[in-house]
Amino acid sequence: MDVRKPIPTNGGDWLTRFGDAWKGQLSTLKEKFGAAIEETRFPGTDATDVPIVYVKRESIVEVLNFVKNEAGFEYGFLSDLTAIDWEESPRFEVVYNLYSMSKHWRIRFKVRVNDGEECPSAIAVWPGANWAEREVWDMFGIKFTGHPDLRRILMDERWIGHPLRKDYPLRGYQVFTNPEPAHPELLD
Amino acid sequence: MGKDGSLGFLTTRLEDFVNWGRKNSMWPLPFGTSCCGIEMMATLCSDYDMARFGAEAIRFSPRQSDLLIVAGIINLKMAPVLRTVYDQMSDPKWVMSFGACASSGGIFNVYSVLQGIDTMIPVDVYVPGCPPAPEGVIHALMRLQEKIAVRDTHSQKRIESLKKAAAQL
Repeated sequence: MDVRKPIPTNGGDWLTRFGDAWKGQLSTLKEKFGAAIEETRFPGTDATDVPIVYVKRESIVEVLNFVKNEAGFEYGFLSDLTAIDWEESPRFEVVYNLYSMSKHWRIRFKVRVNDGEECPSAIAVWPGANWAEREVWDMFGIKFTGHPDLRRILMDERWIGHPLRKDYPLRGYQVFTNPEPAHPELLD
Repeated sequence: MGKDGSLGFLTTRLEDFVNWGRKNSMWPLPFGTSCCGIEMMATLCSDYDMARFGAEAIRFSPRQSDLLIVAGIINLKMAPVLRTVYDQMSDPKWVMSFGACASSGGIFNVYSVLQGIDTMIPVDVYVPGCPPAPEGVIHALMRLQEKIAVRDTHSQKRIESLKKAAAQL
């Protein structure tokens, strides 16, 4: 068994159920956005379970807005927003996992972000992206342009560094005995 | 008074009498942060019944309790909270470190987890296990009672040293 090949989950083989629809969606996206679509991966030919679309950083909000509202896409639900640290250039990938409540299909969008660069915020499309983007900022240190309240959500406010970066030491404890928050004005 | 009507006597030092009362009426504060908390509840319920040892009055306020049972993993973000709760309890107070995570960080030797609550607050009795069996908790509670009776806990030692220091002034 090749461990890199994903096992179909969640009610059977997605490729047979959604393969044709996915192919149509990818060609529509390429047609509409052209150079903004950097690269696509497709299940069956690549090691992935759902199609992956790499989008240029500047156009991601436009693309997300399109696939949310357009008939034939209807990806209305932002299932997850997270990031990956590859330790190379470009360093990070911001990952948008989308799900369609009406059509039950899924897709994955990725944006390549370098260290120090900012990613556009998806809050205008999904307000629920607010806390997910705060988590990505907390764990990876990727800033989101246009985020109204970008502060740490999981770690202590006095924490230095971003623990899910690959260069953060695994045992880089930062122990605080004093319960006073460093920035009380930031608390609601 | 004896059964035959004669007067009986109980001679003891007042301090020992007070400690006898303390050890048999501990009021636990359950600081249950994960699965160990479930095992602590099992110990408190009727099968194991911690009330047999006088420790059934669970209080969720640190002002009203004298036994802090830290049952579960303490994250670094929770550590200052635990410290505050301990500071808010009035003396004499005792701490039970319940399970592997509270005692040493357990399997979670990573950036976000406190490596044992004894790095933050003094601990009187440790219960090993992941999670510990209720028998282990009862054993720990009885050992703690023995320690209280001979004034061997951190809190009592601190009070005694304070008394000595005050007498020297």
